[in-house]
Amino acid sequence: MKSISLPLPSETAPPQAWLASLLASFLRGARLLFGSPLNAALTLVFGTLLILVVPPMLRWLVIDAVLLDPDPNACRLASGACWSFIHAKSGQLLFGIYPFDERWRPALVCLMIVALLAWSVRPASWTPRLVPLWIAALALIVWLMGGGLGLSEVPTSSWGGLPVTLILTVVAIGIAFPLGILLALARRSTMPAVRIGAVVTIESVRGLPLLSILFVASIMLPLFLPEALLPDKFVRALVALTIFAAAYLAEVIRGGLQAIPKGQYEAAAALGLPFWRTQYLVILPQAIRVVIPALANTIIVMIKNTSLVLVVGLFDLISSGKAALADPAWPSPAAETFLFIGAIFFALSFSFARFADFLERRGPTAH
Amino acid sequence: MLSDARARSIFIQCALVASVIGCASLLVSTTFANLQARGIPIGFDFLTMPSRIVISEALLSYKSRDPYYWAIVVGLVNTIFISALVIAFSSVLGLIVGVTRLSSNPLAAGTCRVWVEIARNSPPIVLLIFLYSLWWKVLPPVGEALNPVPGVFASMRGFVVPALRFELDSTGLGLILLALLLLASAWLAGPARRLRSGLGWSAAGVLLLGLWLADIEASIDWPVFTGSNFRGGLELTPELSTILFGLTLYTTGFIAEIVRGGVLSVGSGQWDAGRSLGLSRAKILRLIVVPQMLRVIVPPMNSQYINVVKNSTLAIAVGYPDFLAVMNTIISKSSHSIEGVFIILGVYLALNLSLSSAANWYNRRIAIVER
Repeated sequence: MKSISLPLPSETAPPQAWLASLLASFLRGARLLFGSPLNAALTLVFGTLLILVVPPMLRWLVIDAVLLDPDPNACRLASGACWSFIHAKSGQLLFGIYPFDERWRPALVCLMIVALLAWSVRPASWTPRLVPLWIAALALIVWLMGGGLGLSEVPTSSWGGLPVTLILTVVAIGIAFPLGILLALARRSTMPAVRIGAVVTIESVRGLPLLSILFVASIMLPLFLPEALLPDKFVRALVALTIFAAAYLAEVIRGGLQAIPKGQYEAAAALGLPFWRTQYLVILPQAIRVVIPALANTIIVMIKNTSLVLVVGLFDLISSGKAALADPAWPSPAAETFLFIGAIFFALSFSFARFADFLERRGPTAH
Repeated sequence: MLSDARARSIFIQCALVASVIGCASLLVSTTFANLQARGIPIGFDFLTMPSRIVISEALLSYKSRDPYYWAIVVGLVNTIFISALVIAFSSVLGLIVGVTRLSSNPLAAGTCRVWVEIARNSPPIVLLIFLYSLWWKVLPPVGEALNPVPGVFASMRGFVVPALRFELDSTGLGLILLALLLLASAWLAGPARRLRSGLGWSAAGVLLLGLWLADIEASIDWPVFTGSNFRGGLELTPELSTILFGLTLYTTGFIAEIVRGGVLSVGSGQWDAGRSLGLSRAKILRLIVVPQMLRVIVPPMNSQYINVVKNSTLAIAVGYPDFLAVMNTIISKSSHSIEGVFIILGVYLALNLSLSSAANWYNRRIAIVER
């Protein structure tokens, strides 16, 4: 770094010291921005781009926008974004057509799910205790959302918005996780029939777009099953998401299994442990710990993927946004609504991504 | 018997196969019973019947009188078209953005980082719907179409860009194919240097011969604005432009991260080593850095390309008729759902398997040859 002679900070000359440090940081910034011809060119290109894009965007987002005015006509007059619509419709956007008086239930469920996910990907909580915790939490979620036992009943057809997105994510991951472990073990099995079955299942699911799996689930299940056993739309989408998540989790877990040295298996065999106890006590705890960052990434992918259920007619965040936009009293601010929905997804998955980064930097923990 | 490992393994496998067959036959019998109860016939004969479905836009010419199989082909070509363009655009952009993220210039690196984070953390379907909702907000009506670059028009009705038109007779086409074949074999010839250059030169010769002998007319068809409409050029509808733009924006974020990881994976010691051997910068890049980088980049790039094919199904969110959307219409129109589902599964598996086997083949070529 360039040395700049500074007067010693004393009571007599504070302005100069302040000025000099400002000048130094200014010079440092200028060197970063214009230090070489390439940097100067980059600064010019990106500077022009930002000057062209940022001021009109800010004008639309903030300066000309209607923030809180509950009168829909204010939005018709303003040239900026209509945030008051989001404010007025926030309940409908977040919870869909869930009964108004019962909205505390989906709100509580959302908080529970976020807490459950954050708790579960913490390396310290990877103990067998986690399994009953998840089962209990899922049961509690279903009871809170669906009702019964003292709460008024709400059918799945009136579930909507954020809780649907989150429930689909956690329930699909919760069921898919043990399935994924089984598939991963099967893929590494020495028995050819088991191995081939696992490979065919995993690779064909991973080769298909999730949308096509959702379509197939909603078209084929009514044909496969007798009328009486037919699940509703929510369960059909859940089945498709679970199969999808299981195939991807299986590959992540297989990566962890491959990282376990052969000596671990031999040590378990020397202790006389049978296959399942070897897996449960020795191999899986280590294998899963290795792939926690990859698991967090899979959770992010699943959070993003649940947004696709709108295409098979489920009432998730996007559909509740579309329903709110249909209100003729408001000037249908579509861009603002989808920006809001995108921001919710972004907040969920960005915070999870930072968390995964943190886990990755820490590296696999000893135990 | 179960204490013997071999016998147990055979028993487990037989049980698995038996239960799979059992479940499958149960499913098939219920399915047939269900189909019969609803009076739905089974068979692929319907493919040759006139479809009478509407496909709002397509690269190939399509009329609703055309048979079902042609509608399927039209949808498939739309899907391949979107995927190919998005893969091409986002590879180039991803390379630029990924390298710029490593720049010491905070303005450039920061802007690229924002792009990458937004792309990686938002669901592509929300991105597409948002961009589609912006379309009518940002762009003017046709009468006041924007004309930022000569020959390019942007309005509510979409983009109009100059089109490249080729007029080619069969001699020219044959010679061009021959030249491509020679080039491909030159590439495949690998380390055999003389064979390679021989093949390369002959490819160039054939190409020149083709240009001289055949009648090749390439012309650029510039769009002309007539006040209320456009004549000539290539029209990209709002739906198509939204998908191309949105998916490119999305995929670029992922490719940029892959490229950045690849660049970072080649240590600076490799540059020092190359310089100490007296190699020039270009040679170090070509002989030392890029081969090592490719090895890291190719497998994840392959899965990104497959993801593009999968994400092209999101076209349905903005109403562009890709393969899946067309199949969905066909299934609801003809009620041949079983056959339709088999076609959907078969086509996507074939597309993705061929993409990944091409990538695997390339990956084997560039992999380290170990003893």
